[in-house]
This record gives sequence, C-alpha cells and structure tokens, in this order.
Amino acid sequence: MPAILRPSGALRDLVGGQTEIEVESGQTVRAALAVVGIKPEVVALVVVNEEQRSKDYVIQDGDIIRVLAVIGGG
Amino acid sequence: MRLYVDSTKCSGCNACRVACSLNLFGENNPKKSALVIEPHFPEPGLYTVKVCTQCGDCAKVCPTEAIKQDEKGAYYVDFAECNLCEACVPECPEGVMFVRAELSNSAWKCNLCGDCVSVCGTSALWIAEIETLTA
Amino acid sequence: MNGYAGRILRVNLTTATITKEPTPPDLARDFIGGRGFGIYFLLKEVPKGADPLGPENKLIISSGPISGMMIPGGGKCDWTTKAPLTGGYASASMGGHFTAEMRYAGLDSIILEGISPKPVTLFIDNDRVELRDASDLWGKTTFVVEKQFKEKLGEEYQIATIGPGGENLVSYACINHDYGRQAGRGGVGAVMGSKKVKAIVIHGTKSIPVADMEAYRKAGMALFKACKEAEGLKDWTRYGTTIVVSWCDEVGALPTRNFSAGSFEGGKNLYGPVMREKIVITDKGCFGCPSPCGKYSRSKKYNSYVEGPEYETIGLIGSNLGIDDIEAVAQANRLCDDLGIDTISAGNAIGWAMECYQKGIFTKKDTDGLDLKFGNVEATFALIEKIARREGLGALLSEGIKRASQKVGKGSEKFAIHVKGMEQSGYATHNATAMLLAYMTCDVGAHHNRSWAITYDLQVGRELVVPEKVARIIWLQNFRPMFDVLGGCRLQWVELNIDRELYVPALEAITGIHRSWQDLEKVGERIWNLTRLFWLRENEDFGRQWDMPSPRFYEEAPKTGATKGQITKIEDVNRLLDMYYEQRGWTSDGLPTTETIENLGLKALTH
Repeated sequence: MPAILRPSGALRDLVGGQTEIEVESGQTVRAALAVVGIKPEVVALVVVNEEQRSKDYVIQDGDIIRVLAVIGGG
Repeated sequence: MRLYVDSTKCSGCNACRVACSLNLFGENNPKKSALVIEPHFPEPGLYTVKVCTQCGDCAKVCPTEAIKQDEKGAYYVDFAECNLCEACVPECPEGVMFVRAELSNSAWKCNLCGDCVSVCGTSALWIAEIETLTA
Repeated sequence: MNGYAGRILRVNLTTATITKEPTPPDLARDFIGGRGFGIYFLLKEVPKGADPLGPENKLIISSGPISGMMIPGGGKCDWTTKAPLTGGYASASMGGHFTAEMRYAGLDSIILEGISPKPVTLFIDNDRVELRDASDLWGKTTFVVEKQFKEKLGEEYQIATIGPGGENLVSYACINHDYGRQAGRGGVGAVMGSKKVKAIVIHGTKSIPVADMEAYRKAGMALFKACKEAEGLKDWTRYGTTIVVSWCDEVGALPTRNFSAGSFEGGKNLYGPVMREKIVITDKGCFGCPSPCGKYSRSKKYNSYVEGPEYETIGLIGSNLGIDDIEAVAQANRLCDDLGIDTISAGNAIGWAMECYQKGIFTKKDTDGLDLKFGNVEATFALIEKIARREGLGALLSEGIKRASQKVGKGSEKFAIHVKGMEQSGYATHNATAMLLAYMTCDVGAHHNRSWAITYDLQVGRELVVPEKVARIIWLQNFRPMFDVLGGCRLQWVELNIDRELYVPALEAITGIHRSWQDLEKVGERIWNLTRLFWLRENEDFGRQWDMPSPRFYEEAPKTGATKGQITKIEDVNRLLDMYYEQRGWTSDGLPTTETIENLGLKALTH
C-alpha cells in the first residue's frame, strides 16, 4: 500500500490543490515534501497515523501523513 | 433521546451556556442556562459538566404539571404553568433544574434543543438515544 | 445601546468615590470597545508627563461588543495604561472569563483613578460596587487570593488579582485571573499595585442587548460551525501554542541563550508532544472559545499545577535560558504566576543576567552567590523570587533590562534584547526581516501580538527587504488588534484560518452598525496612529531611535543553529524603517505627519 501525504488547506495551494498525494516509502518526510514541492520550512506539524512526528521520520508503506502549515503564529 | 457529556473534554468555555440561554429565553445570559459547568481548580484541574438526562423525575413531582414532554419526548417547563414552588429542584439527580426568581418567574430546564452541541468546540456534548440498563 | 453593557465605571481611589456614566454612543461608534476605548481614555484623561506609578495615571479595563457573546473567542478584555516598563503605551489582553462577567455586570469599561490610602478590593455585583479592605490579602500570592474569593463567593464570581510582584511595583508585574490567564505586559500589574488595588471581584446577571437576535444567533452559529470544521482544530486544541515549538526550533526562531541563536540543542525536550505526554491534564480555554489553547498541567517532579507553559514561556524560560526540562519550565511558570510577574519579561531579563555572568560582567558577588550559568534551573527559580520581591539582583532586574543595562553598562546594553524598553518576546529574529520589523514597530514595545510574520518571511524569502513585507506588517497591525478592540481573541482566525468575513454579520447583528473589514481596519489604522502619538507626547526625544532593534540582530550572527552565520545588515534595518514610515504616512523620524493626522480624522484628539 502506498503512503499518502495529505497537505492541510493552506498547503494545498502549493501543490495545485491536491488533497492526497502518493509518496514513496523509505524516504524521510522532509525529502517527500521537497519532491512534491512544499518547502519543509512552511510545515509546522507532521502527523503520521495520528501521532506527531519530526520531518526526519522515515515513511513506511501505508502511512497516512498529514502536514499542517504554520498559518498565523501567535 | 437525551444530551450526553464527556466532562474530560470540557474546556470551561461556556459557549454551550450562552447558546442555551439564547434558546430558552432569547437572551444572551449564560446564568439563564440549563447545564452546569463546575470548575475544579487549582486542583485537580478539570471541569465536570452536568446535563439533563431526561429522567423525568422533575415532572413526576410538579404540582401544577408545568413540566411537560414535547413531540420528541423531551421534558421542558411550560413557563406559564410554573408557580416557582421549587418541588422539582431537589428531585433532579443532576442538579440541572433551575429556580432563580431574580432571573425568571418560572423554573427552567433543558429542552434538548441541541444548540449547545452545535457550539461545543471540543465535542464534549452530543445527543443520542437514551441508553437503558439491561439485566 | 445594542451590543454594549451600557456603563463606564469610574473608581477614584484617592477619594473612594465610585461613579457610573452611560457609555457614549459616539465612543462606541468610533472606537468600538476594548483597546479602542483604552487609547481614547488614555489620551484624553491621563495628563502628559504623568508618573506611571502615580495618582494621575489611570488603568482602563475594557470589554468589547463580542465579549460574553456566542461568538468564538469572545473572552478577552483590554487593560490600557501608561506603562511603568517603558514610559509609553501599554495595552495587555487578558483572556478567561473576566470580560464576560464585566458585560453581565453592565460594564463596558472600568477606569481606576488616583491612589488608595490602603489596600482595597474592588467588589462589583451587578449595580452594587464597593471598595473593601484588602489588608488581609496584601502579600498573598495569586492562586491563594483567587481561591479564597471563589470559596467565599462561589464560582460565578470572576477574580483579577495582583501578586507580590504588582504590590512591589515590579516594572513587568502582571494581573492574574482564572488560575492561569494574565494581563501580562508593560507593567499593568504595577499600576494596579501602585493604586493599592489588590483584586477586582466581579459578578453580574444581566443580559446583553442585541440589535437583531435572529441574525446574531445565525451568524454566531456559522462562526462556530466554521471553527468546528477547521482542519487544524484537533491538532491546535491538542497542543495550543506549543504546536510551533518544534517548527521555531527548526527554522531558527526559538530564542536560545539570550537570543544568541534561534535553535536549541535541548529543544526536543520542550516540544509540544513531549509536554503533552509529561504534564498536560486539561485543555482549558477562555470564554466562548472552541479551540482552547490553555494546557492546564501538573508537574509530578515539582508537584505543582499551572496553566502552561505556553509557547512564549517555553521560549523565554526554556530555550532562552538554556533549560531543556519542560517540568522546570512549568514550575518557573507557576512561580511567576503566583508572584504575578510577566514570564516573557522575566525570562528575557534572566537571560540577559546569565549572559552578563557568562561574560564576567556579573560575578557571584553581584548575583547574591547564584551560579548564574545558562541552564541553571535552581538559580532561575531563585531569581524569579528575587525579582518579585525586588531583592538583591532581583531589584536591578525588576526595572527591566533597558534600565538595568544602562545602569550596569560595560557593553551589556548591546545584548539587552528589547525595543522601546519592552523585553522582546519569543521569536529570535536573525535574518527574518518582516518579523524584525514587526518587533521594531509594535505599539507597546517588542511584542509579537500585533503582526506575527515569520511564516511570511519564510515563504517570501527571509532576507528580503522589500515593500511587500512592509505592507504585510502594516496590514497585520491594522487588522489583528481589531480583535482586541472587539473584546475577543484573534487566534480563531490566526490558527484555524476561518473566513474572517463571518465576523461581519455577527458584529452588525450585535451592534446594529454595519462594518466591513475595510471599515474595521480603518479604525485600526486610527488607533495605531493614536498610540504612536501617545509615545510622542510622553517622550521628549521620541522618534526613529525608539524603533531600533537590539544590535544583536544586525551585529551578531548566530554561531549555531538554523540561522548560523545569518544576520540582517544595519543598512537594511534602516531601509525597513524608511519604507515603513513612508507607507504609514509618517516622517522619516517616524512621526505621523499633519496630513496623515488630518486624513484619519484625528485632529480633534491630538491638540
């Protein structure tokens, strides 16, 4: 099963409006973000299978990866 | 149907109580609402919420039959029939039967309108079938 | 008047006279509420040159039209005064339930004037307003005071209280409420302490009149629906502002060792999920908030409870002091809350002191024997106590780092991280020009609340110095503080990204006056210029120099972390200011021009 990247609303603009993107397992979240065209620095939160992970997490088959933008801060 | 609450999700925001007062009285005044939020601070640091379980104990003791059931089976107070005798208040096992003469010349209670559920950001409140205990 | 509680309460503490006036419709129309009322009364009634801690200063507490309403975030009140910390404009926003209760007691604003001869509590129960003796409470910490009142009067009463910090006139003393919310910055607590008001206790049972009840309920429900359907709601509620600790660390915005860097090698131990797992008990929120950011916590190590720490406290008392233990930060947070001092200024001041010690400017003789190394938790706890009591080194630090560094000299001014005398809050601004400008031009000093722009820096190019960045900051400054004017919180828009147009019909239904966001930003622009004119009035030499950031941000590139080697050039700092003044319609020295004042219709207020 492929891993799925789900960008949050604000990030979808950066990927042409896609809500779900298949990404390759075996790479870090950071690398996957670069591949799909999202600068890792605008991602505040990475949630893999509903647990927060760092961008260095290595993607496994079937993972659901939600990435949330930093929107407005404090 | 009745209202349910998971108090562990309550943040104490009181949006439910404002929504309730707007529904029951058409007034923006959470003190005229039909659910109770008890803060327990500084220790243990949580809220407990009391809601009407639609048990009907209040209706059983009302001498003027002011507490009625609507078409959905939810108990409500007919303001015109209440004489503020307060017989209902101690009967309520949840403490959500309200008499405050300075705020209203009738008792009031939850009428299961559901507005509280609509404004609860943490989804602590929901409406569902009444669960009955089976032997 | 629709949308308003209807009365301004004046308390003259010198004469113990209490009066009430109807809220003027013109004031409501032009200044709306909250921070708007605050600047109006401050300019009009506090005479030029007033001593912030003297009888002529006033403390103006204001709710707004969405306070206490079925509107997401309707839980903030504004505390405006002349700031003991800076000698300029102070406006602190306090969450919790106080603002709602003000409205239910029939009050749009409370104005504290003069000085009481003895400690008092201001007691308000609907129309009954009294000054009660507070000599038995004087000296007590905030949790103790709040608990005492709640136990005596019941949970319907809302309490705002100062701690020993406010009593001792610490320049950044705060006001505490609901076991964990504060009117935090600028020394508003010291003003309350100087007036000898220990606490304000308030209770009300009135309803708020509304222009169109049906439309209001519909618009309020639409706002709550938008919040509940917001994509980030669950994550935001889980972590609150701690959601950005890891990200700030990653991009070099997490203040580390007195802002010498923006990434912290111990940062991982301070991230949101670590904190959640270790100490968080309850997601605690303010009135009417569907996205409670408060993380009420218990540290097992210190057996103490605190609402927090939130991002700022994690930044300023954690990474900024080289402390990587979230429980220690929580305990320090609790100490500051008990004593009633602002965690941001306190953390920043301690960081400055630690760098002084590191550089040999302070020895153990100066630190009362404390080994004031970065990372020393016990020394941090001890210093917090000393600051609140103004003892030993704490006395110096309690004045704020601008005064402290001027007194100490020896180059310590160069690493006092502040603007206009207010200690910089939790974002390191090495090579982040929009956020740097935000801190430089914020109307209370170096605070992030008006125009948070770090994401924008990263999206556009952090080193860029372009008119678009300046325009962005100005727009945010005209827009974001309007939530403080409305009596609510900006974070539902900021964090959940809900459509701000949803507020427009709600505000109109409540007040009966239609205002677009364009209208509201115009009010925001007027208020912004008025706060600037207040600084000008109160400081002889006010001008461009007051907007300059700490030299750390144009002279000392970090040696570690994500922004290693990155710094903004001084020429670019000046270019940012030049562009900002031009776009604001100010002189090259940063003063509103006569034309701007006239165009904004402010001539009458600014003789």
